[in-house]
Amino acid sequence: MARELTFRIFRFNPDQPDVKPRLQDYRLTEEPGMTLFVVLNKLREEQDPSLRFDFVCRAAICGSCGMLVNGRPTLACKTLTKDLPAVTTLMPLPVFKLLGDLSVDTGVWFREMSLRTEAWIHTDQVFDPNAEEERMDNAVALQIYEAERCIECGCCIGGCATANIKPEFIGAAGVNRVARFMLDPRDKRSDAEYFEVVGTEEGVFGCVGLMACDDNCPVGIPLRDQLAYVRRKMAAAGWKLRRRAPAARA
Amino acid sequence: MVYLQKALARNPRVDFLVELVQMVSGLLLVVFLWTHMLFVAAIWLGVGAFNALAHFMDQYRLLPATVVFLVLVFCAHIGAVIRRVPRQWQEQKIVWRHAKLIRHADTWSWLFQAVTGAAILALAIVHMAVVSYAGINAGLSSMRVHDGFLAFYAALLLLSEYHASVGLYRVFVKWGWVRRSSLKRVLGAISVLTVAIGAITLGIFYSLGAQA
Ligand code: SF4
Ligand code: SF4
Ligand code: FES
Repeated sequence: MARELTFRIFRFNPDQPDVKPRLQDYRLTEEPGMTLFVVLNKLREEQDPSLRFDFVCRAAICGSCGMLVNGRPTLACKTLTKDLPAVTTLMPLPVFKLLGDLSVDTGVWFREMSLRTEAWIHTDQVFDPNAEEERMDNAVALQIYEAERCIECGCCIGGCATANIKPEFIGAAGVNRVARFMLDPRDKRSDAEYFEVVGTEEGVFGCVGLMACDDNCPVGIPLRDQLAYVRRKMAAAGWKLRRRAPAARA
Repeated sequence: MVYLQKALARNPRVDFLVELVQMVSGLLLVVFLWTHMLFVAAIWLGVGAFNALAHFMDQYRLLPATVVFLVLVFCAHIGAVIRRVPRQWQEQKIVWRHAKLIRHADTWSWLFQAVTGAAILALAIVHMAVVSYAGINAGLSSMRVHDGFLAFYAALLLLSEYHASVGLYRVFVKWGWVRRSSLKRVLGAISVLTVAIGAITLGIFYSLGAQA
């Protein structure tokens, strides 16, 4: 027999600040293979056209549907209702700007983070369109690809207690982004230069190791390894910096 | 983002150094905790052994040296971690609410670190004051444990073991030296072991106190 499911959904419209945020219950009958994508669209079509949420790809690729499902940051489009209890609470991701109900703006946050981590290849090599492309070692390419798989869903940021209290903290996604460029041989930044970007409380040393990011990344990027990799590299750089620091400031 | 004050005060290595101090002082405290456990467990060998060890410590002025060491390391540790404890009321509320919201075990253990840390500080100050004032010998210890201090010592034991094991877990997790699940198991086993050793030690003191 199909279950009756209850969805307790966070409702708030920032354009109507005097209407207090609240949880609203919706009911519907479970169907085979049902995902939260199906649920939310059905609710909007059949019960409440004012419900706000985001989906684009519905295939865990675009990263726009991150939300708290019973408290856990995850992608709604890949969450099957058969894995959920009879009553499920849906909340928007914290940290990001709330656009309304379950919809948040992750774009601005990620753009800001990319700018601050200077997430592009730093090189003085001049691009020659006629030259043959430089080859890259396959092992390195795979390592880079591992970090590149981030879909910017923001689950690692919303789940992170540090990111919740420190708006400047670049979070696991930010550190992962930096790791990607550290691995890339085309990026000519020195460790000391990277230290400027991530060797601080806003960067990798702000992380207290709660591992909510590692537990919740929906595409399974080994965030703990990425954090530890950058942390060790930055610790080494910070250690070396000591000997140069006085001369640089004199 | 850089603001004027921050740009002026900028020493790029501060955050890294503070992190280092926190870790090193924490590790030293764990080493001390476990050494302490073993030393007190000398009572297992009898009152004579315990008093001999205490006498040895006294003779070479190891007791005051330890107290000085502890005060320094404690201060370093507290100074380094205080920036981590979400300070302001507003932040506190956010973190508690957040922990409740995402129901994530490791996030809770972070909040407990702050709470247990503060409790340990209070208890340890009392403990150190009593010990440095009264000196160490088996008779005094058993009397204390028997006459009302049992709960105090049991609390100190449990709190410090918990705090140490969670702290160690975090250090290892952050620097990425071992796998998380096996780490939890090993640390769990060590904690159970040390708590057991401590509990037996307390038990012995208690029964000695009862006999006296
Ligand atoms: S491990 Fe670090 S980045 Fe990840 S959730 Fe914890 S504090 Fe945030
Ligand atoms: S690292 Fe994982 S959880 Fe974080 S934004 Fe990228 S895909 Fe999402
Ligand atoms: S809709 Fe694209 S990831 Fe869920």
